[in-house]
Amino acid sequence: MAAIESLIKWFADPSHWSGPDGIPTRLLEHIQISAESVAIGALIALPIGIVLGHYGRLGNLAINLSNVGRALPSFGILVIAFQIFGLGDLPIILSLTALAIPPMVTNSYVGLREVDPDIKDAARGMGYRGLAQLLRVELPLAIPLVMAGVRTSAVQVVATATLAALIAGGGFGRYIIDGLAQFDYSKLFAGAVLVALLALATEVSLAGLERLLTPRGIRLVKVAAASRATTFKTA
Amino acid sequence: MHGGLFLQGEEQPWIITDWLFTHVQLFIDAIEQHIQLTVIAVALAVVISLPLGVAAHRWRAVRNPAYVVFGIFYTIPSIALFALLIPYTGLSATTAEIGLVGYAVLIILRNVVVGLDSVPPDVVDAADGMGYRPIARLLRVELPLALPAIFAGVRIATVTTIGLVTITAVIGLGGLGQLILQGLVDDFRTPLVVATVLSIALAFVADLFLFGVQRLALPWSRGA
Amino acid sequence: MNRKSYSGRVLAWLAVIMFAAGACGSTTTPAATSKGNITIAGFAFSEGSVLAELYGQALQHAGYNVTFKLNLGSREVVAPAIKSGQIDLYIGYAATDLEYYNKSAGEATGDATATTAKLNSHLQSISLVALTPSAAVDQNAFAVTKATQQKYSLAKLSDLQPVAGQLVLGAGPECPTRPYCLPGLMSLYGLHFKSFKALDTDGSLTRAAFKNGSIDVGLVFSSDGDLNSLGLVVLQDDKHLEAADNVVPILRSAVATDDAKNVLNEISAKLTTADLVQMNAQVQLLHQDADAVTKVWLQQHNFGM
Repeated sequence: MAAIESLIKWFADPSHWSGPDGIPTRLLEHIQISAESVAIGALIALPIGIVLGHYGRLGNLAINLSNVGRALPSFGILVIAFQIFGLGDLPIILSLTALAIPPMVTNSYVGLREVDPDIKDAARGMGYRGLAQLLRVELPLAIPLVMAGVRTSAVQVVATATLAALIAGGGFGRYIIDGLAQFDYSKLFAGAVLVALLALATEVSLAGLERLLTPRGIRLVKVAAASRATTFKTA
Repeated sequence: MHGGLFLQGEEQPWIITDWLFTHVQLFIDAIEQHIQLTVIAVALAVVISLPLGVAAHRWRAVRNPAYVVFGIFYTIPSIALFALLIPYTGLSATTAEIGLVGYAVLIILRNVVVGLDSVPPDVVDAADGMGYRPIARLLRVELPLALPAIFAGVRIATVTTIGLVTITAVIGLGGLGQLILQGLVDDFRTPLVVATVLSIALAFVADLFLFGVQRLALPWSRGA
Repeated sequence: MNRKSYSGRVLAWLAVIMFAAGACGSTTTPAATSKGNITIAGFAFSEGSVLAELYGQALQHAGYNVTFKLNLGSREVVAPAIKSGQIDLYIGYAATDLEYYNKSAGEATGDATATTAKLNSHLQSISLVALTPSAAVDQNAFAVTKATQQKYSLAKLSDLQPVAGQLVLGAGPECPTRPYCLPGLMSLYGLHFKSFKALDTDGSLTRAAFKNGSIDVGLVFSSDGDLNSLGLVVLQDDKHLEAADNVVPILRSAVATDDAKNVLNEISAKLTTADLVQMNAQVQLLHQDADAVTKVWLQQHNFGM
């Protein structure tokens, strides 16, 4: 197939692997923007979701936050951010962080809520109280869902970061937007493949991280709850 | 005509009401295209997900590959997917719909399967006992009981699709996304802001509408 | 009534209504008595819409059934579209179009007529034809802020040669592959910029980049209406990198009837660069619509509205 051939040729071209428009540079740009946004988002979202879930407060808000997040048009948010903050990384990171927060809040809240009340009782009976109970009993049990939330956010941030090229951002989105403008199908195709691979890699590696962080005993019990995390797509 | 030269230092107003009120038709047309793209995507996704979901519910051999295939599809960022399709289907509604349908299928498919899975086995047994044949049992017992879950999936898919439609502006479509793009290209805030707000509003209205439909059609169950 | 068949019926009706609502959005086709259908495309910048509306409305009032595809994209998108028949007509620029269809052979000159003739020699084999070029011109122009101009004492593009290495060039993503853009600056003027920033074709990203200093030199269009108000200064093209970019309609031979050609040539004959600048200013600064602005021009020039 001609498309696949030109795609392989594009990847085989050494000039595409160096310089400011090279694959390594763009990969780093994409990862940097995404990681920063998810990290900042997690710093804000996880404590909120965990605390709300622990105390069982504002449940409707926590759950509906994802509904609101889903309704936000990522393209519109990015351009409005550009209008407010101009060019550069700031508007991009702000937009991505805003989009990353909802699934992490919702999932951590639900994760904490789903902890079996009997277990919480038993913990209290064993002498655990407040913060210790939260950290040593509830959180480990909630990790699968919390991590599923982080995973969902991360994949969506990577996807939305692709759109950042529309406001002169870098990353693999650059290949797609430039490829469209230059009608260079190889570049367009290559950009799409690279972004898809990066998104899949993010999903797989964070799923792996989730398994690592889940205490062995719980891993045997919690099975498909994590699948609940995937219904959040903004890009 | 409101608005003069926006010299350096003078901030462009976020919404120029004069322009807005004389360009209502633009927004109406955009909303129309937006709704069109969404309805087609979700309707097609339901048509695909129902039989596929029934099969996946029944046979593990269908369930896992279906989840994997549509799961991978789902993970691919929409703009990348459109880019991959362009050489084959061009800058057309087909390209957009293939992507939008694919994403919606994963959401609805999961819910069809979960819904069918959650039908109590006692009910299935009772139906068998009453003499229902498999297809009749499916249509008259299992699916109706799975409807709350399916509806929930359709609602989520609809809201998601409405957001994703704006991205199709990059390939010449976009509904309200076109106005967002215009705001970017022309450095004009009014269409940008109003279209973004309308997109969010449209999502809420659609969700509310579907919730209403669900209550109408399933009077015995509270919405999921 | 059986509950399950009740819900089934409600759903069935709703499905019907939804499909009908979805299908209702399709546009209705206008009057049957017309001279034919023409689809006209516009480039993805405001002047592209202005020109498409201008010529398109003229055809409409001459009795053609015109479909507008504005903001279709850059030439890299529009040209394949016209070659494949998806569109019938677009308003191009003689020199840039020539260098596109001759694959950057460098044949364009400052002579609009000669350039258009050469363009037609390349268009013939793909069943396209370029009409008589207009006197109205819009060329690529490279601008700097007043501050940059004063800092390096710049008046013409050659003045950039000693300092280019410290400056960032900003333009649309297609610039690095266009002979009248980056490659031309490098080969004709010997300009080797510090870096290139992909923005947009003379749009809000370019203007924002000027404002926040992330670019020093940017691509604008010589017929832009807002350069002054933005504090931008165009550097003179002393070595004539930009050739005769006169406005010229390009259409498929199949729709190039004598009548259609006459209508289009009439517009080209009356259009001036000053007109373009004024219409651009109204669209870019006053946010007026391209079609409203061109309607006024057509009325002023008595095109029987």
